Amino acid sequence: MHDPAAAEYFGLPGFAYLWLFALVSFFLFGRRVWRYIQTLIEARNEPRWDQIPRRLGVFGLDVLAQRKLLREPVIGVAHFLIFWAFVVFAVSFFWNLIRGLLPFLPIPYADDVSWMAAVLTVMGVLGLAALIVAAVRRYIFPPAGLEKSGDATLILSLIAIVLLTSLLGQATKESSPQLAQALWWVHMATVLGFLAYLPYSKHLHLLASPFGVLFGALQPGGIPPPSEGASFRDDFTWRQLFSGLACAECGRCERGCPAFQSGEPLSPKVLMHHFKELVRSPSLVRDGDGVIGNQVQQEDIWGCRTCLACMDRCPVANEHIPIIVEMRRFLISQGTVDAHLQSTLVNLTRYGNSFGASPRTRAKWTQNLEFKPKDARKEKVEYLWFVGDYASFDARLQPVVQATARLFHEASLDFGILYDGENNSGNDVRRVGEEGLFDMLREKNRHAFDKSSFDRIVTTDPHSFQALKNEYGESNGHVQHYTQLVDHLIDDGKLTVGKRLGIKATYHDPCYLGRYNGVYDAPRRILNRIGVEMVEMPRNRADSYCCGAGGGRIWMEDVPCSKERPAESRVREAAALPGVETLVVSCPKDLVMFQDALKTTGLEDKLVVKDLVELVEQSCRPDKERVECPT
Amino acid sequence: MNILVLLRMVPDVVEELEIAPDGRTLDTEYLRMIVNESDDHALEQALILKERKGGKVTVLALDAPDVDDVLFSAVAKGADRVMKIEGGDGGVTTRAAAGMFAEIIRNEKDLQPFDIVLTGVQAIDDLDALVAPILSHRLGLPYLAIVTKVTPDATGKSVTAIREFAGGVRGEFDVPLPAVLGIQAAEKPPRYVPVAKVRAAMKTSKIESIGVPTMADGGQPLLDVSHMRKPVVSGHAQMLDGEPEDVSKKLAGIFTERGLL
Repeated sequence: MHDPAAAEYFGLPGFAYLWLFALVSFFLFGRRVWRYIQTLIEARNEPRWDQIPRRLGVFGLDVLAQRKLLREPVIGVAHFLIFWAFVVFAVSFFWNLIRGLLPFLPIPYADDVSWMAAVLTVMGVLGLAALIVAAVRRYIFPPAGLEKSGDATLILSLIAIVLLTSLLGQATKESSPQLAQALWWVHMATVLGFLAYLPYSKHLHLLASPFGVLFGALQPGGIPPPSEGASFRDDFTWRQLFSGLACAECGRCERGCPAFQSGEPLSPKVLMHHFKELVRSPSLVRDGDGVIGNQVQQEDIWGCRTCLACMDRCPVANEHIPIIVEMRRFLISQGTVDAHLQSTLVNLTRYGNSFGASPRTRAKWTQNLEFKPKDARKEKVEYLWFVGDYASFDARLQPVVQATARLFHEASLDFGILYDGENNSGNDVRRVGEEGLFDMLREKNRHAFDKSSFDRIVTTDPHSFQALKNEYGESNGHVQHYTQLVDHLIDDGKLTVGKRLGIKATYHDPCYLGRYNGVYDAPRRILNRIGVEMVEMPRNRADSYCCGAGGGRIWMEDVPCSKERPAESRVREAAALPGVETLVVSCPKDLVMFQDALKTTGLEDKLVVKDLVELVEQSCRPDKERVECPT
Repeated sequence: MNILVLLRMVPDVVEELEIAPDGRTLDTEYLRMIVNESDDHALEQALILKERKGGKVTVLALDAPDVDDVLFSAVAKGADRVMKIEGGDGGVTTRAAAGMFAEIIRNEKDLQPFDIVLTGVQAIDDLDALVAPILSHRLGLPYLAIVTKVTPDATGKSVTAIREFAGGVRGEFDVPLPAVLGIQAAEKPPRYVPVAKVRAAMKTSKIESIGVPTMADGGQPLLDVSHMRKPVVSGHAQMLDGEPEDVSKKLAGIFTERGLL
């Protein structure tokens, strides 16, 4: 092949054409990208420059190693290959471009270097094979949420052309230099065209997502920085807006979203799409209500359970929940709330619990115990047990909370509770967007902690666990969920496993214990030790399916949905496991939700819902007479 | 439109009510106060009127535990001025409360001129709904009770008020201003005010204090409480089990036995 940049075409040297194409392409690309950057600069600041080494680690795992994509293995491997083929071909492209633009440089073209040519060939072939897998998946066996858009077809075709022209060019270099040169130009023109088109396409993700991952949230909290809420473009932080640019509309979020899977209006993917349009919209008009009521409806905003399924599986580290919480804050600041939620918030403000009960009755469940738990405000204890609203007030949870107390007592654990000094932890309050009320509840609880003397905290509710562990500041020492503590107590021989239960059961990972805090093994270890044969549900661990109660949904009116509610879908999943008769939970809200769902699905005679602690008590205190308490 | 809203705190029945050792009053140790529900609706109706017609909302409350929170939250919702009547001995009868409000409204010159006085039609400790009528009598103003909607007319000299009657009947009244209205429910449920706004109001606004006025009749109650007693639990529900057929037979038997059939 002659040097394509040195060859003459219609009286002009090749590099002149290359300069022209490159300038046009980079101009179109740069103009568009600059506008996005300006929009992000105008947006609210959100510092994401801290802990660079840790960020680089995440970048390595989620960008270079494609960790999240590999959770769906077939397309994951295909994407991995396309990604690396892209990286290799991008290197080769810029190498060739520089060589072509500056023909006097004393370097060869990339494909004239033997090792690079070998890499290009291998990656080209693998990339093409992966493209076939991707095309078959998209057009023949599309998963839910993946659209057959023209944009995707165009991008797949462009990548195929880029790979094919390079492979064919190399193959024909000796036999037909003319053809090889033509292919070189097609290759370069396609990449330059691709570059110009990219910022206008959804496949901007291949440029944006590495930055999205690098500047992603390091704590899976989903809580945006302080604000009075957001509905207009410049109310959102740059990182929130950036999510729209990084989204590839792959639909993984929809496939895990309890709201979307129930046929409710919210789709995390469509939400991202609206944010993409928002960033792209040319002018910023501050009138009306902004995004809310126009692109995004109130039903979408309140539909979110903050279960983290979308964010956990999003390969480009998009931040759906912070965006939802920002918009909820906006609605709360306007006083626009569902009547049920309003009365719950009023109750929480007034009584410190969501039940609207007298705070003095918080520890009423202790009355039927054969011992009286210590008052941590009066006596020093090792463990402060933060019981939480549901366990304290809901009649259906009384057996669970009492069993927990008896087990702690049996293990001679030095523990105490706060009695009427405990307030709702505020986890879900925060997630409905009532940040002021969260602050107030946190102050009250911190005040109670300050007055008490304890070394560690143990919680019953994973929602309180999340708040106390991650959102109360550093001052609370070590916070554990009760499953972790019980696991240790068995380890240390303080609780002795008596009877092996010999039952077959499945375990539901609560969102705030699992995805938020990575506690998956302690409950499974306990089940194993007490002789429960564990059968996993198809959706387990990080893929666990939310019961539908989180993010304050348990305080809101049920919205009509066209499919099965999350809890109903989940109990069916458990009931379908052969031989499984027990669904084990470790979150008070799960117990309530699943018991209801058993009734509405008519599965009451097939499955029972048990809190883990009830099974532990059956094993560790098999002969002790259990005190049944009136509910 | 200048709107006066009268608020009163009442015992919160979420807490168990206990009778004080004197046997004539509630034990304050376990007592927790909450704003009277229909007074809260009166405030909401006032805010709606202000939003529609402009003007000023002044809230006047009798001092009681936790009343400050209620007044700050009124500011956060949009009230312009909040005042509390301080210095009383706490236990105020309906008649005394109405008397105090009347004296203050008449004598505090900066409350004049006002167009309308809104207050809750009743309270759990005033089920005979007498504060507003006594007040209107003392002020010599027209009075309408059990109001569920107030619409100002174009002239600003009267309002159209909807009053509820038994059996779902509603009456529409043309009320000349100034007037006193006893609000049963606002057009919309009272709005939610975020805690952050209430806390901001605590920092930026002030509750004005007014002393208890001296009243011509001394404000002494004409009737005294002689005893307060908790309801005595008597009788129990009897559950009838069995097939509908049997249950209805048993039921008919019981009715006959008690002479109802």
